[in-house]
Amino acid sequence: MSRFLFPKWSNLLLPGLIAAGAVMPLYAVFFVAYGFSPKTLDAGYQPVQPVPFSHALHAGQLGMDCRYCHNTVEDASHAAVPPTQTCMNCHTQIRPESPKLVEVQESYRTGKPIEWIRIHKLGDYSYFNHAAHVNRGVGCVSCHGRIDQMEVVYQSQPLSMGWCLDCHRNPEPHLRPVSEVTNMAYQPEFELTDTEREGLLAKYDIHPSENCSTCHR
Amino acid sequence: MPRVIIYSSFVLLLLLAVPPAIVAKIRSTPSEGRPIHIVQDMDYQSKFKTQTPNPLFADDRAMRQPVPGAVARGEVFDDPHFHEGTLDDGSWASEFPARIDVDLEFVERGKQRFGIYCAVCHGDAGYGDGIVNERAMTLMANADGPLQGTAWVQPKSVHAPEVAAQPVGQIFHSISKGIRNMAGYEAQIATEDRWAIVAYVRALQLSQNAPAGLRAEATR
Ligand code: HEC
Ligand code: HEC
Ligand code: HEC
Ligand code: HEC
Ligand code: HEC
Ligand code: HEC
Repeated sequence: MSRFLFPKWSNLLLPGLIAAGAVMPLYAVFFVAYGFSPKTLDAGYQPVQPVPFSHALHAGQLGMDCRYCHNTVEDASHAAVPPTQTCMNCHTQIRPESPKLVEVQESYRTGKPIEWIRIHKLGDYSYFNHAAHVNRGVGCVSCHGRIDQMEVVYQSQPLSMGWCLDCHRNPEPHLRPVSEVTNMAYQPEFELTDTEREGLLAKYDIHPSENCSTCHR
Repeated sequence: MPRVIIYSSFVLLLLLAVPPAIVAKIRSTPSEGRPIHIVQDMDYQSKFKTQTPNPLFADDRAMRQPVPGAVARGEVFDDPHFHEGTLDDGSWASEFPARIDVDLEFVERGKQRFGIYCAVCHGDAGYGDGIVNERAMTLMANADGPLQGTAWVQPKSVHAPEVAAQPVGQIFHSISKGIRNMAGYEAQIATEDRWAIVAYVRALQLSQNAPAGLRAEATR
C-alpha cells in the first residue's frame, strides 16, 4: 500500500499557520496606519517651481522676514504669495540678466502672474486662517518647518485634521511671543519656562476651538 | 523539516519588511508625487479660492483686478496729508497727520516694520549697510565686471545730512512711491504703518545725531 503519510515535521505547520494568521491582520493594520497616513500621502510634497526661487537664500542667508513677501499673513486668512513687483524691488538691480530670473522678467513685462505651484492645500471643505494663528503666537515653523533652510519648499507637516486637533487640544508647547512668530530658529521649549508659556496662554486669551464649525463652515 | 520550507519562510518574513521600508523611504524624502488622495471626498471643489488660476480670463487670474479708477470702500483719498505727505499748497508736510498719535507704541510698531521691510537693505541702524547691500556689493566687485547686469546703488543712509533735513512728508513720499533706485512700498505696507516707519526713522536719526543739549540731558 502506498498511501501518502504526512511526515512528522508537518505537525509544526498548523501552529505556524495559526501564528501567521494571527500576525498578518496586525501587520496589515499596522501597514495601513503607517503607509496610508497623511504623514506619508500628504507630507513631503515638493513640486518643481517655475522659478528656482530659494527660501534658503532669501529668508535664510539674506535674513529677510517672511512678511516682506507674505505680507498679508497677519491680517488675512490667506498668506499671499508675493506678486512679481515684490521680486523686482531688488531684481531690477540684482542679477537682472540671470537665466534663473527669465520667467520673473517675462512676468514683469507682460503683467501675467508667475504660475507658482501651490504646495500646502487643505481640502476645499475646510477653513484655515493665518491671522488667527500668527497673532496668537503660533510660529510659521510649527506648521511649515524650517522654510529658511529649504532650497525648494516642501510640505513638512501632514496638515490632516488630527494634526490640527493635536495642537488645538494642547497649544501650550507651541506658543511663543508674537514678536517671534517669523523667527524660524526660535525654540520655545528652550527659550521659555513653563510658567512663561502659561502666561502667554493667558495673555493672548487662547482657547482654540474643537467645534466642527470652526474649520468646516 | 525540509530546508526549502525553512528558507522560504525566512524569505517570506524578510519580504514582509519590504513594504514598510518603502514607506519609510517615501516618508523621509520630499518628492513631487504627492499628495496622493485615494478617496477624493470633496477635496477639489469647482470653486475659486484666493490666488487660484481661472482659465476663463486672459491673465488666468481668478482674483480680478479692480477696474481703473475704482475706489474701494474706506479708501477715499480725501486727506493729502495722510495719503501723500503733502500739505494743501503742495509742499511737504513737516508734522505727522492729525489722525495719528505718535506715541511709544506707534514708534515700536515702526521699529518692527522697519526691521521687516527696510533693514535688509538699509541695515538695522539705517546706515545703508544691510545684508542685501553687502551681497550686491560683492556682485558689483566681481573681477570681470558686475555679474549678470547687476547695477546696484548703495541704499542711502537715513543719517545723511540731506535726508536728516527732510520733512516727514518727504520721507513718507519716498517710502510710498519710491525714490530714484528704490522701489515704492505703497502696495506692500499699509498707509498707517508707513507713517510708523517714518516715526521710527526720525527716532533713529535723533538717536544717532542727537544735538549736544539733548545728549547731555539724556546722560544727566
Ligand atoms: C523674497 C520673498 C519671500 C520671502 C522673504 C519668503 N517667501 Fe515664502 N514664498 C515666496 C514665493 C515666491 C513662494 C512661491 C514659490 C515657492 O513655493 O517656492 C513662496 C512659498 C512659500 C510657501 C509655500 C506656499 C504654498 O504654495 O503652499 C510657504 C509655506 C512659505 N513660502 C513660507 C515662508 C516663510 C515661513 C518665510 C519666512 C521664513 C518665507 N516664506 C519667506 C517668497 C518669499
Ligand atoms: C530684498 C531683495 C530681494 C528680493 C525682494 C528678492 N530677491 Fe532674489 N536675490 C536677492 C539677492 C541679494 C540674491 C543673491 C544674488 C547673489 O549673490 O548671487 C538673489 C538671488 C535670486 C535668485 C538666484 C539668481 C542667480 O542667478 O543665482 C533667484 C532665482 C531669485 N533671487 C528669485 C527671486 C524671486 C522670484 C523673488 C520674488 C519672490 C526675489 N528673488 C526677491 C535679493 C532679493
Ligand atoms: C497653524 C498652522 C500654520 C501657521 C502657524 C502658519 N501656516 Fe501657512 N499654511 C498653513 C496651512 C494649513 C496652509 C494651507 C491653507 C489652505 O489650503 O487653505 C498654509 C498655507 C500657506 C501659504 C500658501 C498660501 C495660502 O495661504 O494658502 C503660505 C505662503 C504660508 N502658509 C505662509 C506662512 C507664513 C509666512 C507663516 C508665518 C508668518 C505661516 N504660513 C504660518 C498652516 C500654517
Ligand atoms: C501649533 C498649533 C496649532 C495648529 C497646528 C493649528 N492650530 Fe488652529 N489655532 C491655534 C491657536 C493657538 C488658535 C487661537 C485660539 C484662540 O484664539 O483662542 C487657533 C485658532 C484657529 C482658528 C480660529 C478660531 C476662531 O475662534 O476664530 C481656526 C479656524 C483654526 N485655528 C483652524 C485650524 C486648522 C484648520 C488647522 C489645521 C490645518 C489648525 N488650526 C492647526 C493653534 C493651532
Ligand atoms: C481644527 C480644525 C478642525 C476641526 C475643529 C474639525 N475639523 Fe474636520 N477637518 C479639518 C481639516 C483641516 C480637514 C482636511 C484634512 C485634509 O485636507 O486632508 C478635515 C477633514 C474632515 C473630514 C474628511 C476626512 C477625510 O479624510 O475625508 C471630515 C468627515 C471631518 N473633517 C469632520 C469633522 C467633524 C465631524 C468635526 C467635529 C467633531 C470636525 N471635522 C472638526 C479640520 C477640522
Ligand atoms: C531693495 C533695497 C531697499 C529697501 C528694501 C529699502 N530701500 Fe530705501 N533706498 C534704497 C536705495 C538703493 C536708495 C538710494 C536711491 C538712490 O539714491 O538712487 C534708498 C534711499 C532711501 C532714502 C533716501 C531718499 C532720499 O531722498 O535720498 C530713504 C529715506 C529710504 N530709502 C528709506 C527706506 C525705508 C523707510 C524703507 C523701508 C520701507 C526702505 N528705504 C527700503 C534701497 C532700499
